[in-house]
Amino acid sequence: MRRLARLKRRLRERSEHYLLLDAARRLGRGVPGTVTPFEGREGLLWRRLFVPLYRRVPWAFKRRAMDSLKMTASGWTPPERRPRQPWRPPPRNQ
Amino acid sequence: MTERLIVIGGGGAGTAAATVARRLNPDMKVTLFTEFPDIAYSPCGIPFVHGGEIPKFEDLFLSTVERYVADGLDMRMETTVTDVDLARGTVTARNTHEGFDKLVVCTGFVWEKPDVPGANLEGLHYVKDIRAAMEFDKRLDDMRRIVVIGAGPLGVEMAGNLGHRGLHVDFVDEGPWVLSEVLDPDVAEPVHESLTERGVTLRLGTRVEGFSGDGTRVRAVATSGGELECDAVIVCLRKLPSSGLAEVAGLELGTTGGIVVDERMQTSAANVWAAGDVVEVPHGLSMLPIRGLTGSHAYAQGRTAAFNATGHDLVYDPVWVPWGMVAGEYTIGGFSIGEMLATAMGVPYVLAKGVGVSRARYYPGATRTHVKLLAEPGTLRIIGCQIHGGEGVKERADFLAFAAKRGATLADLAWMENIYSPPIGALFEPIAIAAQNGLAELRDRERAAGREAVVTA
Repeated sequence: MRRLARLKRRLRERSEHYLLLDAARRLGRGVPGTVTPFEGREGLLWRRLFVPLYRRVPWAFKRRAMDSLKMTASGWTPPERRPRQPWRPPPRNQ
Repeated sequence: MTERLIVIGGGGAGTAAATVARRLNPDMKVTLFTEFPDIAYSPCGIPFVHGGEIPKFEDLFLSTVERYVADGLDMRMETTVTDVDLARGTVTARNTHEGFDKLVVCTGFVWEKPDVPGANLEGLHYVKDIRAAMEFDKRLDDMRRIVVIGAGPLGVEMAGNLGHRGLHVDFVDEGPWVLSEVLDPDVAEPVHESLTERGVTLRLGTRVEGFSGDGTRVRAVATSGGELECDAVIVCLRKLPSSGLAEVAGLELGTTGGIVVDERMQTSAANVWAAGDVVEVPHGLSMLPIRGLTGSHAYAQGRTAAFNATGHDLVYDPVWVPWGMVAGEYTIGGFSIGEMLATAMGVPYVLAKGVGVSRARYYPGATRTHVKLLAEPGTLRIIGCQIHGGEGVKERADFLAFAAKRGATLADLAWMENIYSPPIGALFEPIAIAAQNGLAELRDRERAAGREAVVTA
């Protein structure tokens, strides 16, 4: 059980690291004052396999996968966040 | 028989848990163990004393041990708990076993140490304990060059403040801009300018490879960009949960390494709660557990644990994490996620951007406030923001986090009411400007695509 918990922790830590690196590279491109993030030789599989695959999967599917892998919190009530219909101005002819 | 509550840890969460529990149930015996000699001070203020913005460290103390004792708490200062036996209901400290009926674990965090040669040299300083900070501050007067490692929030505050003090600061981080794990690159640009104006040399995209010294004390930092001479190094890497004691005791740890708690701050064991930097709590948008939040989160969690440990029923909500900080002369803030985190996680979003002023534009001291809102495509519920400028960043981030928690949309914000009073608020609220711009852009895009505009604001 403890080994599984450690594995999940490692999975999350590594995946977050390489996803953030990838996002930084793409968002920072051409923005003044930014540089290329340091990239070592390690993590080839994460960078070349995991990141492109993760990016192809829609968010809703990823959320469901995280739920089924028990990566999301249990014992908590998810927020309702029920928005009202957005307010709209009256039609111009009234 | 009198019930006994033991609290392990004397930070924000621990002191909140102990004092609130005692207030809720004056008959309960409440004992607080802390390994440190001091309590009830603000470690977050330490960088600003180093920088001279706050005159002295004593100003950071909010209360005294004697005050807590007078309030009826059993205070065990400089007493490290070395073991917790959940089956017997005891903790061990100074080779003595003490029984408890209820336990609250608030053991906080430790700073990650650099995993490179020379990391054990003297002169590597970690900002946490106020007494160590007082000693370090005395030595700073004889120093000229400091290397700050890690461009997270504390690193930015330390670099900016030490630059303000007149020291030469090399600021090293592997990331492409400061705070790159949360901050968007367009928001980072003015922060870079502000730090540079304070005498900070930014060394971004740079890896630390080792430390070298004159036998015992650090004198230089080897990096992928060359060697940096220094009189001291300030290490501001990741905050790691101090969850070793809890793990050995058998409490469940989560994917961040923090203690798993439910919405009542209860751990996986009966009659044991946990709070503060050692626990993980879910993010309101993704329900993914996160940790290492602010002092106000720690206090609220400690309070929740106290309510439930004393037989009340109090629920803590998933968090939307409003944040803000001064970076050099500039203020930045936001809540939840920005473009950077949304892109990394793969969360779809639409953007709404705007610039306004913090007071009437003619009133002295008015500053420009840049607002960037992220909203869920389709529903247009807001899911994150980043703000930068001068005054009013904190209040806007707090408000938007609350609004998001209640499901507010771009349309709600576009037509929000706001205070117009020349010395404190402009006619047009920057948040409303951003939301209106975002809706207008969406409407134009829909019309250009030949669809009937759904967004009519």
